[in-house]
Amino acid sequence: MIKANTKPRAPALEALHVSKSFGGNKALDDVTLKVDAGSFHALLGENGAGKSTLVKCIMGFYQADKGQLLFSGKEAQIQSPREAHALGIGMVYQHFTLVPCLTAAENLVISRPDTPMVIDWAAERAQLETFMETMPFRVRLDAQVATLSAGEKQKLEILKLLYLDQRFLILDEPTSVLTPAEADEVLGVLGEMARRGEVSVLMISHKFREVTAFCDSFTVLRRGKFAGSGDARNANVAELSAMMIGDAGVRPPAIREPTVPEGPELELRGISARDEEGRALVSDLSFNVRSGEILGIAGVSGNGQSALVELLSGQRPVARGELRVNGAVFEPTRRNFDRFKVFGLPEEPLRNAVVPRMSVAENIAFRSFDKPPVARRFGLISPAGIRRRGAELIRQFNVQTSSPDAPIETLSGGNVQRSVLARELSGDVDILIVSNPCFGLDFASVADIRSKIMDCRNRGAAVLLISEDLDEIFEMSDKIAVMSDGRLSDPVPVAQTDARRVGNLLAGQSGLSAPKPDRA
Amino acid sequence: MSDAIFMVLMAMLGGAIRVSTPFLLVALGETLTEKSGRINLGLEGNLVLGAMIAYATSYSTGSPWLGVLAAGLAGMVLSAGHGWICKLPKVNDIAVGIAFMNLGTGLAFFFGKPFIQPTAPRLDAIALGAWSSNPQVQQALKVNPLFFVGLGLAVLLWWMLKNTRWGLIIRMTGDSAASARAMGVSVDRVRLLATSAGGFFAGIGGAFLSLYYPGSWSESLSSGQGLMAVALVIFARWNPIRCVWAALLFGASGALGPALQSIGFSKGYYFFNAAPYILTLVIMVLSARSQKAAHEAPGELSIVK
Amino acid sequence: MSLSSATSDLPARRKLRLDPRSAALIEASVIPLAALLASALIFSLFLTLLGKDPIRFFALVWTGGVASSFSFQNTLQRAAPLILTGLAFAVPARIGMTLLGAEGALVLGGLASALVAIPMVLAGWPVWLGLPIMALAAMAVGGVWMGIAGWLRHYRGVNETISSLLLTYIAVAIMNFLVEGVFRDPGSTNKASTMPLGPDWRIGDMPGTSVHWGLAAGVIIAVLLWVLMERTTFGFAARIAGGNLRAAQAQGLAVGKLAVASCAIAGACAGLAGFFEVTAVHGQANASLAAQYGFTGILVAFLARQNPLAVVPVALLFGALGASGGLIQRRMDMPDATMLVLQGIIFVTLLVSETLYGRLPFLSTEQAGDRT
Repeated sequence: MIKANTKPRAPALEALHVSKSFGGNKALDDVTLKVDAGSFHALLGENGAGKSTLVKCIMGFYQADKGQLLFSGKEAQIQSPREAHALGIGMVYQHFTLVPCLTAAENLVISRPDTPMVIDWAAERAQLETFMETMPFRVRLDAQVATLSAGEKQKLEILKLLYLDQRFLILDEPTSVLTPAEADEVLGVLGEMARRGEVSVLMISHKFREVTAFCDSFTVLRRGKFAGSGDARNANVAELSAMMIGDAGVRPPAIREPTVPEGPELELRGISARDEEGRALVSDLSFNVRSGEILGIAGVSGNGQSALVELLSGQRPVARGELRVNGAVFEPTRRNFDRFKVFGLPEEPLRNAVVPRMSVAENIAFRSFDKPPVARRFGLISPAGIRRRGAELIRQFNVQTSSPDAPIETLSGGNVQRSVLARELSGDVDILIVSNPCFGLDFASVADIRSKIMDCRNRGAAVLLISEDLDEIFEMSDKIAVMSDGRLSDPVPVAQTDARRVGNLLAGQSGLSAPKPDRA
Repeated sequence: MSDAIFMVLMAMLGGAIRVSTPFLLVALGETLTEKSGRINLGLEGNLVLGAMIAYATSYSTGSPWLGVLAAGLAGMVLSAGHGWICKLPKVNDIAVGIAFMNLGTGLAFFFGKPFIQPTAPRLDAIALGAWSSNPQVQQALKVNPLFFVGLGLAVLLWWMLKNTRWGLIIRMTGDSAASARAMGVSVDRVRLLATSAGGFFAGIGGAFLSLYYPGSWSESLSSGQGLMAVALVIFARWNPIRCVWAALLFGASGALGPALQSIGFSKGYYFFNAAPYILTLVIMVLSARSQKAAHEAPGELSIVK
Repeated sequence: MSLSSATSDLPARRKLRLDPRSAALIEASVIPLAALLASALIFSLFLTLLGKDPIRFFALVWTGGVASSFSFQNTLQRAAPLILTGLAFAVPARIGMTLLGAEGALVLGGLASALVAIPMVLAGWPVWLGLPIMALAAMAVGGVWMGIAGWLRHYRGVNETISSLLLTYIAVAIMNFLVEGVFRDPGSTNKASTMPLGPDWRIGDMPGTSVHWGLAAGVIIAVLLWVLMERTTFGFAARIAGGNLRAAQAQGLAVGKLAVASCAIAGACAGLAGFFEVTAVHGQANASLAAQYGFTGILVAFLARQNPLAVVPVALLFGALGASGGLIQRRMDMPDATMLVLQGIIFVTLLVSETLYGRLPFLSTEQAGDRT
């Protein structure tokens, strides 16, 4: 059934006046989206704007309450993803759906709805080879998926849709795991295929650069409503961001106070770390973070940022180099965390910072349970003391919980992160290591959490902020550096750089600062 | 001297083939189960229950092969219970395995009491050593057909996992339940079927114990082969063909004590009895952090995480 | 201010019907009891199908395990090692380890105490000095034996469930090797054993009872371990490591040491059970040490939800089942494996009941929609 068919046959899709509520929440309110045949369409919007809900209605995961779906001009009722696939609508999810232990060829063959009971591999291989010849990019068919890079996996996901003859492609933030070079390659090829009329593409994105560089048209959603659409090639960034954020969306930026750079200082000298197979994760990192300063480290996910956080928090051994705090060599142990007042906000707190089944109060006590006043003679601890102290910090940090005894897993993401803030930021902080602190959080929590981090800086802490969110980096940082492929660019003051230069660096080009940086 | 070495080697070869058969059958069952993303520590229970049922069936019907079939079915029923319970949320597959080990052994002992005394018809061996005039060679090459069943099963399983739709679906389910679900595969059903089929193999392994070697039913029949087979699967890195070699190795190490005893070297007999366990432990230590093993391990398996 | 705007966006607090601590307590008592009841029903069905009278069965369990002072003391006697082996499973379970090695640690602990006793008995050391040395030797050997499994887990990545089981088989082989070989008492003709300790070196019964001191030791250790796990920094750290290893590492906790220490404590408990088996029951070390106490302890710990205090009553329950086994065998003409079947049914039912946690309809403390 899979033929090497390159005839232009891209479908068009229109979703007209779609509404969808969950409980009392209107996730989509009279939204209209039109994707022309053979176009590369961007769907823009902030977290929670309704992009995923709209796409899931198209894919048949959800049924819209109201509205109409036209596919190639004909009305379509899509009840399940299977029906969407049958129509030729395929989706690449943010999390890959490839099976890591199977080879690329096995992944392709098993994805077919009509895989034969006994697979004739010689014939299948020949067919796959001919299919690959017609494709703009290749993936090694015999490679186990686990051994492919993120870019190759993304390509294979797209190849899988084309192999299944799905000509309407929906991509959910496809470049978030790619290096800029890989992103450009993938998007460029998709754009060309669309122009040749072989496919139509709908891409969820929040990266303006990609939208203006590769897409033909765009639609913006804001808080579940249609906020605008237009020609992507002529759109300007200010216009797009105004549509996305709207008039209500001006978040009060965290207040930055002048500080004096003296006191605690975090210093890395020639730090390298390797993964279990001996491949370099980070190489030769050298930088320092001064008191009263936020050093922002930008970078595409998977370029060594998590390794950096892990080795600073003692989860991963340092292969070479030296960590120093206030000039003294720093081994990341519990005693030294206390001695040097080093605190941290890891990314994904439910995975890295809390014990989901323990109570909120107990989670808040992780830093203090082995010290007075909670710990008493003979290492005895007082649960009442833990609960009292927890209740106090819950109030102070505005954590919304039914009780200090509730398991922390019952809290919302923002409140889990607030509990971690309550634990880490309630005392004197000299060094603070923060990683993607606002990922996936609601609007209000973001402002709250950023201002807490800024307070910490204003009180004289040295803050290392690692974030994939460029806006966050620019809002929070005093200096900015970019991490790419395990290496770090020289940090420069935020005033001497801009989003374009950082973007270039993310894309692997050098030159973060203006031509003549005045650094010692 | 060289005569003694020859005797030991021959005894070990024969022993390896004999002792390895239940290992092989249980290990293949466990491989199939683990490939689907579950671990079944309860196969020891299948082994013991299978041994009892096989013996009882053979005794009452006079047909040992009917006993083999009954043992397989008993194992399948037991493992289906495991598979069904494990699909409930918040239930730990390792603990369920331990519970089924208890239950299977308990049921076998309970119903097996009347069959400890009587003698049931046993499985016949195939005399592959008839060409030789040497009695040791003849003895060593008396091979039970179930050994060949195990070999055939290993090849079949290996081929099935690579070349059939079911094989790919089992591997997919074992490696990434999310991907399998995204493709519309019912993860629980695949695992239930794989676990049940695995239980069938382990039950047959039990039939070998009571119907061939040692060849009678008693409560001390199994010495943990069902559990060691779980470690053996890790050693064989979930590859059915490698399971054959691993089972032979385990069989040989288990045959070491009796082989030495056969030439009158009985000192440390009990120590040599520990050889397979020590071997397993050493192998686990060596392969635990190996990257090769990590790549080949089914990603959903709780025991390798 | 940013802070006040933050709160206004969030939903107001929702009302609860029960505070989380009482809800958790009710859950942890109601669900295991319901599981016990369900297993009794299933077992009754099993008996009925076999043409036996289930009511008579449970009546005999009562008679043989509780009714008379003789039978109750028999129950207590059997519960003593189960408390210790139950603790040996419960303590590592709190740090997320499924350790099945109690049987091996018990066997080696018993063997060690019997072996260190030989020179002391021969040299005529005072008993009050000798017995504590024997107990310490048993605990040390048991602790090291299970500590190995913890060490292999943390520093070599070897699955502790399988390694601890293998260590049990190796322990039994070591015991057989030594008892049948070097340390075999020439006088032990039908069952190879070490040198008998003699009446002076037997630990006596508690005053006024025919129950040996192992029961008191078990209860005291259960209380101590409850304090250790619930009320000390060690226990708190172990719970963090057991709940989320990455979070524990990020807090700078020495997770490897915690794991090895938990396993060593477990092994020491099992080893102590072996000491009491030798000094209070058998008077020498032999194959009778491997009496499945280690494995029944796993079930005890599961039913007690790994709570050291709850281990005591659960061990009594299984002690009673064991104590009435002989009576049931005689009066109902049923094999001794009957109790194994009942245990298996309890174990399976108990695990099925795990799925009910957090889903009991009358305990709705959850805030709807907050879970992702």
